[in-house]
Amino acid sequence: MWISLHARAAMVLLAASVLTAQESPLSTGSFNVNLGKDAPVALVGISVGDSHTSARGAALVIDLHTALLTLRNTSSNRIHGIALRVLSQEVTLGGKGSVSIPSLDIGPGEVFPVPIDMQLMRPSSVIGGPLVEVSLDGVIFQNLSFYGLDRLNSRRTLTAWEMEARRDRDHYRQILSQAGPEGLRQAMLEAMARRPQLDVRVERGPAVTSAALASERTERFAFLEFPDSPIKPVEGWAQIAGNQARAPSIQVLNRSAKPVKYVELGWLVRDQNGQQYLAASLPGSDPNLSLPAGKTTRLEQETTLRFTREGKPVNVESTAGFVSRVQFADGQLWVPSRQDLENAALARTLPPSLEEQNLAAIYAKKGLEGLIQELKRH
Amino acid sequence: MRHPDQAILALHAGGDLGLWARWRTERHVARCEQCRAEIAAFDELRQTLPSLAETPELPWNRLAAEMRANIRLGLAAGECVRGLEPDRPTRVFSGFRAAVALASVMVLVVTGIVIERPAPNSAPIAARDTGIVVQTTQDGIQVREGGQSLGLLNPTAMQNDITYQVGAEGSMEARYVDSNTGHVVVNQVDVD
Repeated sequence: MWISLHARAAMVLLAASVLTAQESPLSTGSFNVNLGKDAPVALVGISVGDSHTSARGAALVIDLHTALLTLRNTSSNRIHGIALRVLSQEVTLGGKGSVSIPSLDIGPGEVFPVPIDMQLMRPSSVIGGPLVEVSLDGVIFQNLSFYGLDRLNSRRTLTAWEMEARRDRDHYRQILSQAGPEGLRQAMLEAMARRPQLDVRVERGPAVTSAALASERTERFAFLEFPDSPIKPVEGWAQIAGNQARAPSIQVLNRSAKPVKYVELGWLVRDQNGQQYLAASLPGSDPNLSLPAGKTTRLEQETTLRFTREGKPVNVESTAGFVSRVQFADGQLWVPSRQDLENAALARTLPPSLEEQNLAAIYAKKGLEGLIQELKRH
Repeated sequence: MRHPDQAILALHAGGDLGLWARWRTERHVARCEQCRAEIAAFDELRQTLPSLAETPELPWNRLAAEMRANIRLGLAAGECVRGLEPDRPTRVFSGFRAAVALASVMVLVVTGIVIERPAPNSAPIAARDTGIVVQTTQDGIQVREGGQSLGLLNPTAMQNDITYQVGAEGSMEARYVDSNTGHVVVNQVDVD
């Protein structure tokens, strides 16, 4: 009788879990926001928006839709960027993500919103605890100092974005001073139209044998060199077959005087019509990289990229690379200058930077005068 | 008194025991009301199954896919939870497990008839199904593993206004301007 009772209980539980497979709205109690005790931001409010949960098989889908955290800058510095970790389940694929907001300028005591719009999954068998945990991963200030746990390498990312933002603002200020408002308008429109994007599918892990790989060839990288880059690409290749590129391997030389702990390259591909696209960023696979001055190392990824555009395969004719980000062992970062990008004709190949997206949004919303005021502001 | 386990009782109810095992079980059942009730329950279940099989237009493929997805995710979830518990020896085919497994299958089949559930995303994957795949879709960033769709991000911005940045190590970013706040937002999925 003991067994029978348990079996029946299990049946009832299973049936109940399936029958409750309907959408149900999230409440603010479903969120646990952990910013840390001495964090430079404080939680002012949570709005769940249209967020809801629904069951999909044995998984719970958490749809965070128009959710909004309102934070206050409790520090004495101006905040220029923030990164939050959003988690529903640590070990489940699709259970975590992150939300970052660059290009901020939040003064002490000021309040700002952080929108969270994503879908997460977790096994519905996990019960208890909040459905969504939001934690602060990092904050970058105006003086490039950083606060945070940095589990997502937010320090490097936010700092690089801030450096790129300053670079791009300087660029558009220069256009304004040299070509006037009409020149700025023209440059802004060109940036907004610059979207030669590929749809890229990334498959991790070593490739398996297939018919497509039979026609595979080894394609050597051509490198776009920047004179002031601390890292020089020496040689490299990737395996190419049709619209598939895999197993990139690039040797790089540290030609600076300081040890380097992180190198990232931009990976470009050119199709049969001569159109060049940014395919992916290519970081090294060694998280503990330490590259002494004057030494070489190899950046490799066991990964396969497939390229399409508007649903059609884009066959790769040639491949190229450029150094896009370098972090020294002392934490300092290098990013290409605007002049580097212009000289290598990359400015027209790369999609708009985050700051260009920000400025374009201001232009679209407030017009040319609003954009000029923004550029003069900071 | 030592009772036969659930598997023996189930086989006995179906008349599938060998001679010696059947003789032993019948001897026990003759003097055990509890086991007679168990056999009766199994027998009742057997009577129900053929009638279920005759139900017309069952979406068997869909149900099978749903069950595979459930089992896969259930195993993954079980691994997560089990990580905190010390290992202890267990019997692979205990009576309780057999009963729960049978009950689970029954509930899934019956529920499938009652409720027309949406099928898991079965968009074809042209390449291998063994690795983790990160790709952009009309809804945002999608993460797949072993042919199953496991997660995606879907910013509210217009698809044309989203810039995707791919990391060859398996990360993907969606960059867009949030229409409500005016901020540039970067949503990132990292499969590590």
